[in-house]
Amino acid sequence: MIQLFRVSKVYPPNYPALTDIHLHVEKGEFVFLSGPSGAGKTTLLKLLFREEEATGGQIIVNGRNITRLDGAGIARLRQEIGLVFQEFKLLPSMTALENVALAAEVVGMSRRESRRRAFHLLRELGLREKHDARPLTLSGGEQQRVAIARALVNDPILVLADEPTGNLDADMAEETMRVFLKIHEKGTTIMIATHDAGVLKRFHHRGVQLQRGRLMSDSKSAQREVAS
Amino acid sequence: MKVAQLSFVFRRVLKSLRELLWTHILTSGTMAMTLFIFGGFLLIQENLHGLLRGWGSQIQIFAYLEHSLSQADLQSLLGDVRNYPEVESVRFVSKGEAWENFREALGAQSGVLEGLPSDILPSSLEISLKRPYRYRASVAAVAQRLRGMKGISEVEYPEEWIEKLTLLVVGVQWAKWILGGFLFIATLLIVGSTVKLAILARKDEIEIMQLVGAPAGLIKAPFVIEGMIQGVLGASLSLFFLWLLFLFARYRLPSSLGIFPAHDQLQFLGSEAISLLVFLGWLLGAGGSLFSLRRFLKTWGSGRQ
Ligand SMILES: Nc1ncnc2c1ncn2[C@@H]1O[C@H](COP(=O)(O)OP(=O)(O)OP(=O)(O)O)[C@@H](O)[C@H]1O
Ligand SMILES: [Mg+2]
Repeated sequence: MIQLFRVSKVYPPNYPALTDIHLHVEKGEFVFLSGPSGAGKTTLLKLLFREEEATGGQIIVNGRNITRLDGAGIARLRQEIGLVFQEFKLLPSMTALENVALAAEVVGMSRRESRRRAFHLLRELGLREKHDARPLTLSGGEQQRVAIARALVNDPILVLADEPTGNLDADMAEETMRVFLKIHEKGTTIMIATHDAGVLKRFHHRGVQLQRGRLMSDSKSAQREVAS
Repeated sequence: MKVAQLSFVFRRVLKSLRELLWTHILTSGTMAMTLFIFGGFLLIQENLHGLLRGWGSQIQIFAYLEHSLSQADLQSLLGDVRNYPEVESVRFVSKGEAWENFREALGAQSGVLEGLPSDILPSSLEISLKRPYRYRASVAAVAQRLRGMKGISEVEYPEEWIEKLTLLVVGVQWAKWILGGFLFIATLLIVGSTVKLAILARKDEIEIMQLVGAPAGLIKAPFVIEGMIQGVLGASLSLFFLWLLFLFARYRLPSSLGIFPAHDQLQFLGSEAISLLVFLGWLLGAGGSLFSLRRFLKTWGSGRQ
């Protein structure tokens, strides 16, 4: 699903945010990307949805080399990826339902179908009563679930989340993580960046650790080493 | 683009027109002002034909004849002058007629002429030139040739008039493009900055659309369409005010000013000029939007390419 070969990213003028990253993520995997602040987690995710361009190496997402893409290519790539952010990025002037439906509409789904799907997703995520609420009248956890619904509305094969629980209290964070687990159970590949080392212990999924732009440890290759 | 996306763009435009009504009206008004001035020049230019017809008939060469000219010499002179290729018509004004004209011109003061012989004024030829020759160089050339003819003592023509006419024609043509071009660029910048405001107001929305993979065309289309609507609206507005100006000139401006020929000779812009104005409005709107969008989506936003 995701393959990175010797990927590096140097921010101008010459700040090396990522250096020589090798990473393979299989279809259907659930990966936690961890590391201290400034380690390069956000940068790595940005490379995957082409908010940033790698300065070295090759990146394959879903069989497509994304190191060289034009605007239309980037748009197509993003239609296959669901994105969730720490600060939710919901539009305050629209209702929860409209926020979710917008994402489907702009990639060509009819208004009616978009709203229908948004409605079902919100209900699945426990926001049955809230689809007409504006984001700012919702709790943080509810807002993040609206954002997750939006990430799912186009049936992504990959969901990338950058500190999705960063703005939530412990209970809300736990609940949000469970939502991701449920999505994962349906076969979606998920990659979550977090600096909360605790989740790695509580959830027994693959953990990839970055430090100062380098890949420090990968629980999957560690397991493989133990097995062999 | 799919039908669903078209309907999305359409709804977006309607929503924006509703929510930012005054911004749109102000932008249209700005465009209307520019187009009004440009259209005003077009109006003058289109009517310059009529104007020239009116003024052109005043361009005559007066050739004063020698007192001693015999009837036979006069006839041959008239024949010669009529054969000039530039000459449209020649009218002979006899001494008596000149005297009558002079008396009429003096009006109440004509008493001062009492006792003077009525053949004191010279007879003359009033020569009108064909239209293509009613400009300075050719009038001067004809005058020069007349001066060399036997029987003609003096030649006069309204040099000032001709000079003014030539200047006016050239002036309107240049002013239209220089002033018009200048205003066009200024308006483009104004439209550009209003679009920038509209873009900034919807910055978050644009960001999210980019993040979920909306095609660039879909993101830009509403702004460009809004610009076109504003432009065409602005052009219509300017045409409306040009029409008012036209009616005013036609019915309210006293003909005694002598600037315009007979009132009913004034004409409104032809269909070509109207199309040009609407097209320019459309171009202003679409161009201003695309200009801002390009800069905005390049410096800010996703997928730095
Ligand atoms: N646009 C940019 N220009 C220059 N430097 C940048 C830019 N974005 C990030 N950086 C730098 O790159 C490094 C990695 O940043 P990144 O945001 O990827 O870290 P992170 O692991 O997500 O940190 P956090 O846990 O605090 O979110 C940081 O030192 C940051 O200052
Ligand atoms: Mg980060």
